[in-house]
Amino acid sequence: MKERDDILKRKVQKVEVVPPEELAKLDEIIDRYEGRPSYLIPALKDAQEMFGYLPMEVQRKLASGLNIPSSHVYGVVTFYSFFTIEPRGRHTLRLCLGTACYVKGSKDILDIIVKEVGINVGETSEDGRFSLEAVRCLGACGLAPVMLIGEDTHGNMDPKDTTKILEGYQ
Amino acid sequence: MVTLTIDGVEVSVERGSSILEAAQKAGIGIPTLCHDKRLIAYGACRLCMVEVTARGRTRTMPACFNPARDGMEVATQSPKLTESRRKQLMLLLRSHPLLCPSCDACGDCQLQNLVHEFEILELPFSRETRHFHVDNASHFIRFNMNLCIKCGMCVRICDEIQGENELSFVERGMECEVSTDFGRPLNCEFCGQCATICPVGAISSKWLVGTGREFELKKTNTVCAFCSLGCSLTLGEKAKKVVYVTAPADSPNEGNLCVKGRYGWPYVYSEERLSKPLIRKNGSLQEVDWNEALSFVADRFKNIKAGSGGQSLAALGSDRLTNEEAYVFNRFVRTVLETPHLDRAAGFTYRGLTDGVEPMLGYPAGTNSIREIRDSKVILLVGADLTETHPVAKNEVIVATARHRARVIVIDAIQTKLTYRPGMHLATSPGSEYLILNAMLKWVLDEGRFDKTALALRADGLDELAASLEAYTADKVAELTGVPAALITQAAEEYVNAPTATIVLTQGMNRIGFNVEIAQAAVNLALVTGRIGKSSCGVHIFGEKANSQGAIDMGLGPELLPGFLRISDEASRAKFEKAWDDALPATAGLSAREILSGDGGIKGLYVIAENPVDTYPDRATVQKSLSDLEFLVVQDMFLTSTAKMAHAVLPVASFMEKTGTFTSAERLVQRLHPTFRSPSVKTDLEIFVALAAVMGKPSMTYSGPEQVMNEIAGLVDTYAGISYDRLAEGPIPWPCVDSEDPGKPVLYEGGFPRGKAQLAPAPNPAALAVDDLPFYLVSGILKFHSGSFSQWSPSLMEVCPDGLAEMHRNDLKALDLKEGDTVRLSTGDGASIQLNVSWSRRALQGTVIVPEHSSQVKLNTLLSWAKPVVKVRVEKV
Repeated sequence: MKERDDILKRKVQKVEVVPPEELAKLDEIIDRYEGRPSYLIPALKDAQEMFGYLPMEVQRKLASGLNIPSSHVYGVVTFYSFFTIEPRGRHTLRLCLGTACYVKGSKDILDIIVKEVGINVGETSEDGRFSLEAVRCLGACGLAPVMLIGEDTHGNMDPKDTTKILEGYQ
Repeated sequence: MVTLTIDGVEVSVERGSSILEAAQKAGIGIPTLCHDKRLIAYGACRLCMVEVTARGRTRTMPACFNPARDGMEVATQSPKLTESRRKQLMLLLRSHPLLCPSCDACGDCQLQNLVHEFEILELPFSRETRHFHVDNASHFIRFNMNLCIKCGMCVRICDEIQGENELSFVERGMECEVSTDFGRPLNCEFCGQCATICPVGAISSKWLVGTGREFELKKTNTVCAFCSLGCSLTLGEKAKKVVYVTAPADSPNEGNLCVKGRYGWPYVYSEERLSKPLIRKNGSLQEVDWNEALSFVADRFKNIKAGSGGQSLAALGSDRLTNEEAYVFNRFVRTVLETPHLDRAAGFTYRGLTDGVEPMLGYPAGTNSIREIRDSKVILLVGADLTETHPVAKNEVIVATARHRARVIVIDAIQTKLTYRPGMHLATSPGSEYLILNAMLKWVLDEGRFDKTALALRADGLDELAASLEAYTADKVAELTGVPAALITQAAEEYVNAPTATIVLTQGMNRIGFNVEIAQAAVNLALVTGRIGKSSCGVHIFGEKANSQGAIDMGLGPELLPGFLRISDEASRAKFEKAWDDALPATAGLSAREILSGDGGIKGLYVIAENPVDTYPDRATVQKSLSDLEFLVVQDMFLTSTAKMAHAVLPVASFMEKTGTFTSAERLVQRLHPTFRSPSVKTDLEIFVALAAVMGKPSMTYSGPEQVMNEIAGLVDTYAGISYDRLAEGPIPWPCVDSEDPGKPVLYEGGFPRGKAQLAPAPNPAALAVDDLPFYLVSGILKFHSGSFSQWSPSLMEVCPDGLAEMHRNDLKALDLKEGDTVRLSTGDGASIQLNVSWSRRALQGTVIVPEHSSQVKLNTLLSWAKPVVKVRVEKV
C-alpha cells in the first residue's frame, strides 16, 4: 500500500503568501456581496482582478466573509478554468485550438510561442510576462486562427506575425 | 395520499413521496448508487431509471426524484432498462480500479453487488486510469479517490446532515475528486458519516484497512454508552474482538453517529483497563482474586454498619448503569447497606427534571422524541451547545434549518456553531438564561399572545405566574443580562408565531446552578403557548450519560424509589418493602453534595462508575472528605483519580460486554446485546448480587437482567408493558402501560397524569453576585470527550489530546497572549489552575471556556457549590 502511495504522488500545489494589508482590500468585495452566497462567482472574479490570482488566504477570507464553506469555494475555483490559484503573467495568451483555428494553422502559432517565450500550455514565463492557455473555441471562427491577449483579440493571424505581436506586450 | 401501480402492485403513498419511496413501500427493489433516505434526492447514478406510463404516454425517468402521482403505472424491469443499467455500470467500471480482492469495501460495496447482480462479464470500453494518491493524512478516515464513483453522498451528508461542509467536489472531469480545500487533512467533527455512506471504498475508516471485511465480521446490535441520545450501534466482531462500529440504517438514529459513538469505543480494549480487583494492602492497591475482594468489601461494610449503623454508609450510583443495574443497586443500598444516602455523582440535570419538570407536568422527562426536532419551525436552544454535547441531535437542527427553513434561537454564553445557522443569538452571561426565558414569557402574557381558555383547561397557576413575572420586563432583563430588549421581544415573537416550536435544554451538563429555574421557565413558556403534548414541540432535556433518564426512573436519588415514588410516602415505601421483603429507611437521605461535603457523618462510601474527584465542584473538599473516609470502594473500568484513593477497586464489564437496557433522553428503552466477554470480567449486576450474598442477604438474587426487568415491569408503572421479548422487536418509549401499548413518543398528548399541569411561579429577577474579576468562566464540552470513558480511548485522545482554555481573539490581544501560551486562571478565593490557551470562535469577549472533561486540567478546582457562576482572572505564566 505504501508503495502505491509513493507512486501515485499528487501534484504539489504552490501556495503564495499574501500580506495582511493586501488581504484587507478584500473587505470591500465582501461588503458588496455579503449575505448573498449565490454571488460567489462574481466575488471570485472581482478578487482575481484585484490580486491576479486566488491564493489560499484570499479564498479562505472570502469564504468566511460570505459564510460559504471554504471547501465549496475551492471546488468552484478549481472547476472553472477562468480562475487560477497560481500567479499568472501580466498578459494571458488564450490561443484557440478549436477545429477552425487548428486547420488554419494555430498549431504553428503555438509552436512559435512555446519556442520563443519558452512556456508550455498552462505555464507562466519566468519573467512574469506571459501565461499561456489553450482554449477550445472563442466563438470567432470567422477570424481563425485567433488569439486573445488580455482583452485584445488578434484574428486572421499569420504565424509569422506572432513574434511581432508579442513584442507589443511587455 | 396518491395511489399508483408499480410492477402490477398497487401502492398508496403520501403526496410528495418519490416513485422510489413508493416502490420501497411496495417491497420492490430498484437499484441505486447515489440514494440514501437521509439525503435529498440527487439523481446522479441513473440506475434507478424506470418506465412510467401516465396519461397514455410511456417515458423513462429516474425514480429517486420524480414524485409519485395518482394513476401512474411504473415498470421497474424491462429489457431496455436492464440494458441502460448495464451500460451505466460499465461506464462506471471504465475508470474504477478492479482491485476488488484487496479492497476493504469488498463484500460491502454496492457497485460490486450491482455488477454481480447485472452479470457484467466483460468491459467493452477502453479503460482509463486515475492517479490520485491514497490520502492517509486525516484522523480515522482514508481517501482513495481512484475508487470514487462521484455519487456525491459524502459531500451531501457532510452538508445536509452534519452541517460541516468539510468536503466538496474539486477539479473537473477525470481530475475531479472529493476533497477539502487545498487538499488539507480533515479538521471536522470526525463523525465518519462520509466513510460509512460511501457505496464503494473511496472513503473508508482507516482501522478497517486490513483488519476485517464485512462478511468476516460477526454483528451485534447494541446501544451507544456515551451520551443520553441512545443511538443504536452495530458492533462488528472478529476473533472475539470488536474491530468496527457502525449504526443500523433502520435505527432511531437512522444510521447517524458522532465521533464518540463511531470511533470512541477502543477504550474497551485499553491497556489501562482494570482486569482484576484491587485492594489496599500496606498502603498500596494490589491485585487480588474476586472472592478475596468481595469478602474484604463485605467485611468492611459490615463492620462500619455494626459500629455506627447504616446511616454512616453512603452510595453514589451512576448514569452509566443499565436500568437493571440501577434498580438492583437501589435495592442493594437501601436493604443491604441499609442507608438512605443514595445519589448520583454527576448529572446535575436531574434536579432540574425531578424538582423542575415533574411537579409541573407529571413525569421527570423530556416531552418529545428527538426526531421531531427536524419538523419544528423554531428551535430554542437554551445553553445547549448540541454540536459538542449531543452531535446527533444537532443533525436534527441542521435538517430543520437547511431543509425546512426553521430558525434557531440560541440563548447561550458560548458562540456555538449553531449560531451560524439562520436565526439569532442572545449572547447572555452564564447563569442568566432563565431570566431571558421569563422575559419572553412576560412579553407573551402582556401581549396576550396565547389561548387563555385552552390554557385554563390544561394548567393551573396562571395568575400566580403572571404576578411573579411582574418584574421581568424586557428592559430590566436586558439590563441584567446585556442582551438587547428588542432581541428578547423578537425571540419571544418568533417563538409564539411559529406553528411548531421546540425548546432544547442540556442544562446541568456544564453548569451547577439554575437547573430548576431554567427547567421551570422553559416548561412555563411551552405550557402557556400550548406547546406541550404536541408533536414537533415540547421541551427536550438531554442528559450527560447513556442512562441519565433511566437512573431517575430507577430512583437513584436520596428521596426517590423506582418509578418516581418518594421514599417519604408511606404507601410507596410499603410497596417496595413488600417487593424487596425488607424494611426501608423512612426518610430522604443526603444528596451527593452533602455526602461529599465531609460533615454528613459518612464513614464508608460505595462509588459506582463515577469519578467525583474530577467531576464535582469544590475539588479540594471532595478530596478531603474522600481521604477522611474509613472505607471507600470504587467500582469502575479504570483507575480514575477517585479509584486511586479507594481501599478497594472492583473492575466491571463495559457496555459491549453486558445485557441490559438503557433509557434514552427521549424515554426510549433499548436493549444492550453483549459481544464476547472474558469469563473473569463481572458486570455491575453480578457484583451487586454477589456482594449481597456475602453480606448476608442471599434473598437478593437475580438470574440475570431479564428477571430484573420483569420485576421492574411489575413495580414501575411507566415500564409495565416492557419486556425483553418486546424489546427484541424494537425500542419502546415509556410510558408503556401494558403488553399491547406501543409507548408514547409524545408525552401528555391525551392530558396530564394529574389531570392538569401546574405553572410554576418565577423567582425574583436579581443580578448574580459574582466576583469583580474580568472573565466569566464557562465550563465547556468538546465533542471528542465526555470525561469518564473518552480519556481512556486512544483514538479520541489522538484527535484531541489536551484541554485548552478557549478565548476570544481580542481578549488574547489585550492580554498579549499567543496561541499555546500557558495561563493561570484564578478565582477570588485564590484557587487556580494552569493550562494552555487557544484562540477560539466559540468564546465571546469576556469569557474563557475551559473543558470540563480533562482530569489534567482539574477545572473543578475553580468551581464551587456556593457560587454557580464563577469569574476568573487570566494571567500569563
